[in-house]
Amino acid sequence: MSDVSRRRFLKLGACVVGGACATDALPSLAQAAEGDDITTLRTTLPYPRVQLASIGQLTIGREQLTTYPDQASPVVLVKLGRPAINGVGPERDIVAFSRRCSHMGGTLNFRQGTGTLHCPLHYAMFDAQKGGLLVIGQATDNLPQLELEVDAAGNVFAVGISGLLYGRQANILPNSGTV
Amino acid sequence: MSSIYHGEDRVPVPPADAQQFTTVCSYCIVGCGYKVYKWPLGKEGGPLPHQNALRADYRTQQPEQAGTWIAPAMHSVVTERSGQRFNIVVMPDKDCVVNKGNHSIRGGTHGDVLYAPDRPTADRLTHPLLYRGHSRLPTTWNEAIELGARVIKATLDTWGPDAIAMKCFDHGGGGGGFENNWAVGSFFFTGIGTKMASIHNRPAYNSEVFASGDAGIAPLPSAYLDAKLADTIVLVGANSYETQSIYFLEHMLPNLGGGTLPLKQQVLPAEPHARGRMIIVDPRRTSTVAVAEAHAGKDNVLHLQINNGTDIALLNALSRLIHEQGWHDQGFIDRRTNNFSAFQQANLAQSLDEAVQLTGISKAQMMQAAQWIAKPKASAARRRTLFLYEKGLIWGLKNYENVASVVDLALLTGNLGKPGTGCSRLGGHQEGYSRPGYPGQRPPVNVDDVAIKGGASKVFWVAGCNPVGGTLNAQHFRAALAQRTALVNQALDATNSGSLDDKVAAVMSALDKGGLFLIVQDIYPTETAQDAHLVLPAAQWGEMNLTSINGERRLRLYQKFMDAPGIAEPDWKIMARMAQRLESLYRAEGKTEMAARFSGFTWTSDEDVFRAAAAGVKGAQEDYGDTTYAMLKALGTNGVQTPVQEMKNGMPVGTTRLYMDETRFTFIPAAWPGFPSQIQALMNDPRYPFWVNNGRANHGWQTLYDDARKPYVIGREPFPHVEIHPKDAQRLDIASGDLIELFNPYGSVSAMAVVTDSNAPGHVFMLFEHPKGWLNSLTTDYVDPATTIPYYKGTKAGIRKIGTLSGVNGQLTFIPMNQA
Repeated sequence: MSDVSRRRFLKLGACVVGGACATDALPSLAQAAEGDDITTLRTTLPYPRVQLASIGQLTIGREQLTTYPDQASPVVLVKLGRPAINGVGPERDIVAFSRRCSHMGGTLNFRQGTGTLHCPLHYAMFDAQKGGLLVIGQATDNLPQLELEVDAAGNVFAVGISGLLYGRQANILPNSGTV
Repeated sequence: MSSIYHGEDRVPVPPADAQQFTTVCSYCIVGCGYKVYKWPLGKEGGPLPHQNALRADYRTQQPEQAGTWIAPAMHSVVTERSGQRFNIVVMPDKDCVVNKGNHSIRGGTHGDVLYAPDRPTADRLTHPLLYRGHSRLPTTWNEAIELGARVIKATLDTWGPDAIAMKCFDHGGGGGGFENNWAVGSFFFTGIGTKMASIHNRPAYNSEVFASGDAGIAPLPSAYLDAKLADTIVLVGANSYETQSIYFLEHMLPNLGGGTLPLKQQVLPAEPHARGRMIIVDPRRTSTVAVAEAHAGKDNVLHLQINNGTDIALLNALSRLIHEQGWHDQGFIDRRTNNFSAFQQANLAQSLDEAVQLTGISKAQMMQAAQWIAKPKASAARRRTLFLYEKGLIWGLKNYENVASVVDLALLTGNLGKPGTGCSRLGGHQEGYSRPGYPGQRPPVNVDDVAIKGGASKVFWVAGCNPVGGTLNAQHFRAALAQRTALVNQALDATNSGSLDDKVAAVMSALDKGGLFLIVQDIYPTETAQDAHLVLPAAQWGEMNLTSINGERRLRLYQKFMDAPGIAEPDWKIMARMAQRLESLYRAEGKTEMAARFSGFTWTSDEDVFRAAAAGVKGAQEDYGDTTYAMLKALGTNGVQTPVQEMKNGMPVGTTRLYMDETRFTFIPAAWPGFPSQIQALMNDPRYPFWVNNGRANHGWQTLYDDARKPYVIGREPFPHVEIHPKDAQRLDIASGDLIELFNPYGSVSAMAVVTDSNAPGHVFMLFEHPKGWLNSLTTDYVDPATTIPYYKGTKAGIRKIGTLSGVNGQLTFIPMNQA
């Protein structure tokens, strides 16, 4: 499938949620969300598989700052201490997000008490437990969330990103190996 | 459990040869500038600067605030009437002085709301619909116009002009503009001549700021520059971080943070300057309060958490304190105002003890506010205070006195016609008002009560509004609409003949028996259209050229960049078609006088109507004189601030700020009026213990007509939210995400609870408009008798828990929005 038609499909996939909500059936929001075939939302970009942490090193609420998929993309990984959307690990509470605000690219700070990420530029706030959902602010999408995997030894790997990173046309920079 | 998001991890970039257009956001009053890129599907720009229209190097990470990032919500693929498909990107313009590349969540999601047959906007109205046998079926323009014109003419001939009621948009921005407003006004006022007119979801044809007009102050006298220069900004009943987001972020916050000090020193070198302060009058601790405090420090922000409806007492108490301290501007009062003694007797008589008791604001806080507003700066320079108010005041207890009390405070302190000052409404939608005069009187007739519920009108034309949820006391309005339109349905159902004559006869007999013929003109099949007999599909922003002004009177051209869906037409063209048909029907009968009233709708382009509409704004704050589309095209997203003073070298010269001359103003006396009887009755009834304040939210626009088609927006607000205090929630066993019911004698509504201490106990806040729960089912039928503006912001209700909807709240966030 070409990139263009794949993106169209994603837009259609997303509209099941909004379209159903817009008309009448109350429960369809939940049904549509549960019915999403996660494989259709997977990217075709060549994401690297990068180890970000080991479960044993993680302390609840203490964020770890690193980069993914390349050094120009700061990310935060945190064990929230409560189950989170797309969380991994035995408690399904380990999540990672881009630290560039999906409004205009400000660098976000994590706040432990609320489990939120805050932008100093225009005061956007994102909920780390809810897939990086915008709590308030002027961003037009969630904070891009890293797709994580945990191997048998408890190593946490980033394998992809849901959502477009601020400041990029594609999450993997063209010729990123050489630039 | 899945999250709500767009999902893309790449977007196409416009190629270097993409078509480019300039426009302005279709939504709020701030009117941020936008650029539109359009290019054929299947083509894409490259990552090198010379390969894309943004001249950006996409091989590298773009820095923050670069203005070159295309968010997924800014992109769409549309299908034009030719069947050709195009990529479209709508992104904020960094060269526009209003937003400098910034955008709100509303303007930043324009890609999501462009019509596309394979996206959530697929339910746009594409063809006229006509009621036939229990449903509304597509028909041709000719049949739709013929039936509409015949029913309107028969009604006009039988019962006169007031038998035809209308409720129409009057705004700028999306779907409005000078063009469409002029055509609507010409049809209903010059053509029909009806007094049964009302403006979008309000019950009457009124200004929301009659008191400001009576004082001699236009609704939008200031410039956004003034927010950068002010010593103090006073927000009354406005949550600007969420509802005028970019004005707040780009013009107010920099002042509060001290970032505009160099500008202040440069523009006003003769006086001392400090970072700006902000006073926020609001019953709720809003995100605006939180963000202002985070940016300016708590010492520079004063939140007056007022009791619902008590603004007049507070503002008059401030006037009194300032006058008692001698901080008023006697020179300004003497030189530039009339009627001070009436103000003195009414406003300054406000007892401070009574004000404290009514408002819940302490004397110390009032004194601090008085100091911030008017205590002279060092070297005796007067403070420059900018008063900005919006719906919390306008739709408060009593519209006329509410607005008068803030206007009077501005006059008392001399804050008009100087840099850094002003007394302006902030605005909701943009403005583009130009119409022939309304034939009615002041106070204007309450169309909901008289024409619809009362039966005085037989035809009701609703354009660009959704009154079944947006008007006051909406449950009763819905009942009347459903009952009266059903009589017409039954008459049409009983007519088996296909002849138009039989249909018109059936409609007329139903109208004679109390029926109502409903025409809805819109872009979507609204809830109001569910009762309609004739549905007319209109073009939207981007599908026609239009012009509007923003909150500092900045006039710009919003270019057409795509086709309207199906056979939808701009509103002005629909009005013209109907008028032309009526003209010919009257001419055929030899009724030349009636025919003449519907003549003149001969425009052939958007610009023809724009030029015709210049007649309706002569001498007003919107006066654009001889400005043409070509001039506006050349001026791009910065446009020109009206009124246009003159033409210089073939280009319009505008006005930054009004009243820099010696204009005289009039104090409007406004004493605390007490609560109206409808509210008193609720206050005295223990079954309705909660004050229900209400308003908009950051992520939603108006009735959510577009947002219901934006998955990211409606996904996070599947039901309207109600903010309830933890103490009240605990007592009622309510948790965040629970479904609750609010009820009072006027109606009931369900909503989703959000437990937060943003309101005081006993006070809740509900989202104003949402298709799955209309707050207005709870509002009373009270309107200010002086202006026919409702007290939307104040009603009382009981609350009960319904339960929890599994699977819904797991995706949503309930973290309080008012922290920063």
